[in-house]
Amino acid sequence: MARIVVITSGKGGVGKTTTSAALATGLALEGRKTAVIDFDVGLRNLDLIMGCERRVVYDFVNVINGDANLRQALIKDKRTDNLFILPASQTRDKDALTEAGVEKVLDELSQEFEYIVCDSPAGIERGALMAAYFADEAIVVTNPEVSSVRDSDRMLGILSSKTRKAERGEGGLPARLLLTRYAPERVERGEMLSMEDVTEILSIDMLGVVPESQSVLNASNAGMPVILDEESDAGQAYRDAVARFLGEDRPHRFLSTQKKGLFGRLFRG
Amino acid sequence: MNAHPSPIQPIELKGRMILVSILRLHDADTHRLNEALDARMREAPELMRDMPLLMDVEHLTDISEEALTQVIEIVRRRGFKLIGLQQGAAAQSIAARTALPLIVLGSKGGELPLRTTQPPQAEAANESPPVAHKDSAPIQALHTASLVVNQPVRSGQQVYARGGDLIVLGTVSAGAELLADGHIHVYGTLRGKALAGVRGLVGAKIFCRRLDAELVSIAGHYRIAEDILDAERGDNRLVTLAGETIDISEI
Ligand SMILES: Nc1ncnc2c1ncn2[C@@H]1O[C@H](COP(=O)(O)OP(=O)(O)O)[C@@H](O)[C@H]1O
Ligand SMILES: [Mg+2]
Repeated sequence: MARIVVITSGKGGVGKTTTSAALATGLALEGRKTAVIDFDVGLRNLDLIMGCERRVVYDFVNVINGDANLRQALIKDKRTDNLFILPASQTRDKDALTEAGVEKVLDELSQEFEYIVCDSPAGIERGALMAAYFADEAIVVTNPEVSSVRDSDRMLGILSSKTRKAERGEGGLPARLLLTRYAPERVERGEMLSMEDVTEILSIDMLGVVPESQSVLNASNAGMPVILDEESDAGQAYRDAVARFLGEDRPHRFLSTQKKGLFGRLFRG
Repeated sequence: MNAHPSPIQPIELKGRMILVSILRLHDADTHRLNEALDARMREAPELMRDMPLLMDVEHLTDISEEALTQVIEIVRRRGFKLIGLQQGAAAQSIAARTALPLIVLGSKGGELPLRTTQPPQAEAANESPPVAHKDSAPIQALHTASLVVNQPVRSGQQVYARGGDLIVLGTVSAGAELLADGHIHVYGTLRGKALAGVRGLVGAKIFCRRLDAELVSIAGHYRIAEDILDAERGDNRLVTLAGETIDISEI
């Protein structure tokens, strides 16, 4: 049985797809056979970030409708072993994701995979609820600003009541927070909420803090999950998050402004 | 100028809060409506009973007069107190037929979201009152049921303890709402709204480990965030009603 993880937030543009690609790739790098599914029907952009958009033939909705089987629709990642992508459709309408259809696809994937990562669309409507409904746990992606935190709070409330787990009386969905686009200098200037503020407001465990970084844009332009850029701060932060996800205890990094260079260090104290 | 000023005013207007929920209809199919209402009532039967309701029909397109009459009948039969239609274009055109007043709730007119009524996993304490002794006659329960919520109450969630106290062990987020016929205790930070004594208990109180609320209310009297001074916000606060004013003090 696979473990199903939903990457969700409430708000759009906070880094869900970036995170889905990074987590799925990170898990695969650790030898866990992983499938990542794009639930953002109509917007489809996981395949772009994974750099496999030219190899999309069939999509999630095709499989649900029976136009193709899973084997035909799953795209095997070219860079990373153990990693498969199930793209979203760009053209179909959102109602194509039926509960029964999604369940059937997840059940079938569960036979073969260790992890299934569901990249949720924005909002708290049907699409987002469907991505979360069958999950075993959630990673809520938040930016350090008030509106994003508020939306995540709302989403956490929904996760505690509107999932299959909750409806079966098995309690709310376990959820952890991933704080992305964190800019320490803006936090220090008081323009953004700090990691402590966000943790306190949401009272939830922190899976990781990913700094605001040009490397994310570069990676996405290159069609490569940023976690593969081992030199970059964001890539390293995602590696830490994956390690924590798998149970390792690692300290949070990239929380303060850049360390002083050699010159700064020579003159310190 | 009035020639004969009377010392006694014939009427008195008082600002009081009552809870009104908005029922937004997306579908006029009576069967599906019945099912959806059933599901909601199962979720929060206590909250739904006698709930004053505004109906929002802006999402229904071309509904017949007959269908609408049926819908109104269904809603009323469940014990909701239908007090009007949420102001909007569709409401405008059918208000005359339904004899319901048009009401604007909130500043955004027809744009208010449906109040969600999904309490988080809550457990009712004291479900079966204790019995004194096997042989003696059962004594009356000395305590009405309290509602204990052992997780955060988040934005968009609403919890109502009907007939008793509400005890929340976690944080209450901005955008969340607590209601109780009795007292409200919050053992985390209260950032949302808390309304104690909602059915008129003036002795109801709100206790919280940390107060940073959007609104506090007791027996319909209330203070909104704007009226709560910085000095009144802080750790270990007690909110009480003294006459007509809401008092906030340190415990
Ligand atoms: N850590 C980061 N630093 C800089 N830009 C980021 C970071 N994370 C995401 N972005 C950018 O933010 C935008 C939205 O990211 P995306 O993952 O598509 O969000 P979502 O899926 O939540 O809508 C993209 O342009 C992405 O490159
Ligand atoms: Mg996305």
